[in-house]
Amino acid sequence: MTAATGSVAARRPRLRADSLLVRTLITAVVFLAFALTTNGFLNPQFTVYPLLRDTATLTVIGLAQLCALAIGQLNLAVGRMAAVAAMVAGYCYQFLGLGLIEGALLGLTAAAATGALTGLIIVRAHVNAFIVTLAMDFALLGLVLAFYQAFTAPLNAFTVKPEGMDLIRNGSLNGLCIGDMCGPSWVPVLFLFSLLIVALVSVFFSRTTLGRELLATGSNERTARLSGIPTERRIVQAHTLSGLLAGLAGIMLAMTNGSFSAAIGENLLIPSFLGPVLGGTPMTGGFVSAPGTAVGTFLTQTIRQGLTLKGIGLDWLNIALGLVLLAALSVGQIRRRRGRS
Amino acid sequence: MGDSQRSGMRRMALASVAVGAMLAVLPVAGFAQTTPDFSGVKVALVTGGAHPYFQPWKVGGAQAVTDFGIGGTAFDESGEWDQTKETAAINALAAQGYNAFGIFGVSPTDINTVFETLKASGFAVGSIASCPAGDVNKADFCLSTDTKTAAYLAAQGAIEAMGGAGNLVHLTGNAVDSNTQQRIAGVQQAVDETAGAVTLLTTVTDIDKDLQSAQKAVADLLAAQGADINGIVTTAYNPAVAATDGVKTTGLPIKVIAIDDDPVVLQAIRDGIISGTVVQNPWGQAYVGSWVLSALQSGACTMNTPGLIVDSGSFLVTTVTVDTYDAQRLATSMDILAKFQTEYMTCAA
Repeated sequence: MTAATGSVAARRPRLRADSLLVRTLITAVVFLAFALTTNGFLNPQFTVYPLLRDTATLTVIGLAQLCALAIGQLNLAVGRMAAVAAMVAGYCYQFLGLGLIEGALLGLTAAAATGALTGLIIVRAHVNAFIVTLAMDFALLGLVLAFYQAFTAPLNAFTVKPEGMDLIRNGSLNGLCIGDMCGPSWVPVLFLFSLLIVALVSVFFSRTTLGRELLATGSNERTARLSGIPTERRIVQAHTLSGLLAGLAGIMLAMTNGSFSAAIGENLLIPSFLGPVLGGTPMTGGFVSAPGTAVGTFLTQTIRQGLTLKGIGLDWLNIALGLVLLAALSVGQIRRRRGRS
Repeated sequence: MGDSQRSGMRRMALASVAVGAMLAVLPVAGFAQTTPDFSGVKVALVTGGAHPYFQPWKVGGAQAVTDFGIGGTAFDESGEWDQTKETAAINALAAQGYNAFGIFGVSPTDINTVFETLKASGFAVGSIASCPAGDVNKADFCLSTDTKTAAYLAAQGAIEAMGGAGNLVHLTGNAVDSNTQQRIAGVQQAVDETAGAVTLLTTVTDIDKDLQSAQKAVADLLAAQGADINGIVTTAYNPAVAATDGVKTTGLPIKVIAIDDDPVVLQAIRDGIISGTVVQNPWGQAYVGSWVLSALQSGACTMNTPGLIVDSGSFLVTTVTVDTYDAQRLATSMDILAKFQTEYMTCAA
C-alpha cells in the first residue's frame, strides 16, 4: 500500500462518519423546526409514539433493501416478501394455534427462502436483479392473494391475535422499570427492537467477513471473484438476508395494524429505498449505512408527519418528500466527487 | 373547473339549500327547540385516500357545522390507501385537537384496532362508508352502504336490462378489500337467481385506483370480448365511468348499470347510452355522521347498541328517476338522522 492510498483509505471512514453526523444534524434541525412551528408536533401519544413506531417498521424494510444495495442490486419484491412472512405467520396463528414467536419464526423462514430463491434465479439464469425481483413481485402478489382467498375469504386476512401481539403494538418503554424509574411512554417497544436490528446489521457489514465480502461483491464483482470471494453465493446470501429482513418488517407491520392481511407490503417499496438512500447508502453497491438508514427513515417520517400536521395537501406532501430525496441524492453525489478529487 | 365538476357543485349547492329548507320545516326529533351545544366538538372526516366518491363528504361536513353549531370540521384524504398512512393522518388530527372521528378505514380487518385506540382516548368514533370486516364493529356506530345489497340491486338492474339472459361482466375495486368480496357475492347472488339464464363471464378487480387504469381495463375487455358481452355491472366509481365511456365510444349494444353519480354517468343515462346506476349516499354519511359524532362526543346522546350498523342507503337510478333521485336521497338522509335521534340513541332531554 502506498502512502497516498493509505491516506485515502484512512480518510474514507472519517468521511462516512462525517456524512452520518451531517445527516443526523439535518434531521435534528428538521425535527426541531417542526416542533417549534407546528401545533401538536410534540404530542407524545398522537405524534411522537406513532412517528417512532412507523419509523421502526420502515427502518427494517429499509435495511432489507440495503442488503440488496450492498451488492449493487435492487430488490423490487421487498413488499411481497413482507407479505409472504405475514401470510405464513398469520396462517400459523389462525390454523395451527402457534405462539407469537413460533409463528413469526416460520414466517421469517418463508420470507428468507423466497429471498434465497430470488438470489438463486439471479445467479443461475444470469438475469438482471431488477427483472428477477420485478417478476418475483408479480408472482408473489398472485400467490399471496390466492392463498388468502383460499383460506380466509371473504375477509382476506388472518385476524387471530396471538398472545403478546397487543403488547408489541401498544407497548412502550414505560413498561420497563428499574425500581421506581420507568422509561418514557412515548418510546415504543418496536422502536427499541428496530434499533437492535440496525446495530446487528451494522456490525454484520462492518465487522464480519461475510458482510465485508458482500460489500466487496457490490463494489466490483469481477475483482471480488478474482480475489477468491464466491460472489454467486454471496449474491444468494444477500437476497436471503434481504428476504429475512423484509419478512421481519411484514410481521412488524401486521402486528402494528392488527391483522395479517393480503394488503401487507403493498406500500413498502418506495419507503424501502427512501431510508437507505437518504441515509447515505449508494445505489451502486460497495458501501452501506445501517444507522444512516434509520436516520433517513426518521427524517422522511418526520417530514411526512410534520407536513400532515400543518394540513398541507397530499400533492405538496409528496412534492416535498420528492424534493428532499433529490436533494439528498445530489448532496451524496457532490460529496463522492469531492472525496474522489 | 370542467362542466362535470360545475354540475356536481351545483347539485351539492342545491342539496344544501334543500337541507336547510327541510330542517326549517321538520321537527327533528325534539331537537328543533333544544339543540345541544356541539361547539366543543371538532369532527374529523378521514377517507382512505383521494377518491371522487368522498368529495360530497366535504360539503356534508361543512353543512353539518352550519346547521348544528359543531365546533369545526376537517376533511382529510392523505391516507393514500395505506392503513399506516391513514392511521398517521388520524393521529395528526387527534394531536391538533379533533375529538370526533368519522373514518373510512383502508383495511377493514385492521381498522377496529384504530377505533379501539381512539375510543380509549375518549373520542367518539364512527365507521363511515365502510364497516369493519367480520362481526365486530369497535366504533360507536357504522353508517355505510350495505355493499352486498347495493351490488345485488345493481346486478338485478343489469340482468333486467339484458332481458333476463346472456353474459354479464362485473367490474369492481380492490380484490383484497373485504367490501369488494361482499360486492362480488352480491352480484353472484343475483346471477344465481337466474338459474343459469345469465352467465357471469368474468369479474375484473383492482381497477378503481384511478380512471386511467379503469379505462384501459375496459378498453381491453371490450376489444377482447365485447361481442360476447350483453351486460356490465360496475360496483366501483372509476370502472363505472370507464364502462360508460367505453360503451359510448364503441357503440356496442351492452347494457350497463353503473354505480354512483358522476356527471358522466348521469348524462349517459339521460342520453340512453347506459341503463342506469346505483347511487350511494356519501353526502348523507358525512352530514348525519357529523351530527351523531357530535351528539356522542358532547355527551348529549349515547348509542343504545354500541357498534350499531346502519345502512346509509342505495338507490337504483334510471332514465325515469335520473332528475329526481337527489330528493329521495335527501329524504333518506333526514330519515336516518331522525332514526338516530329517536331509535338508535338515547339523548338527554
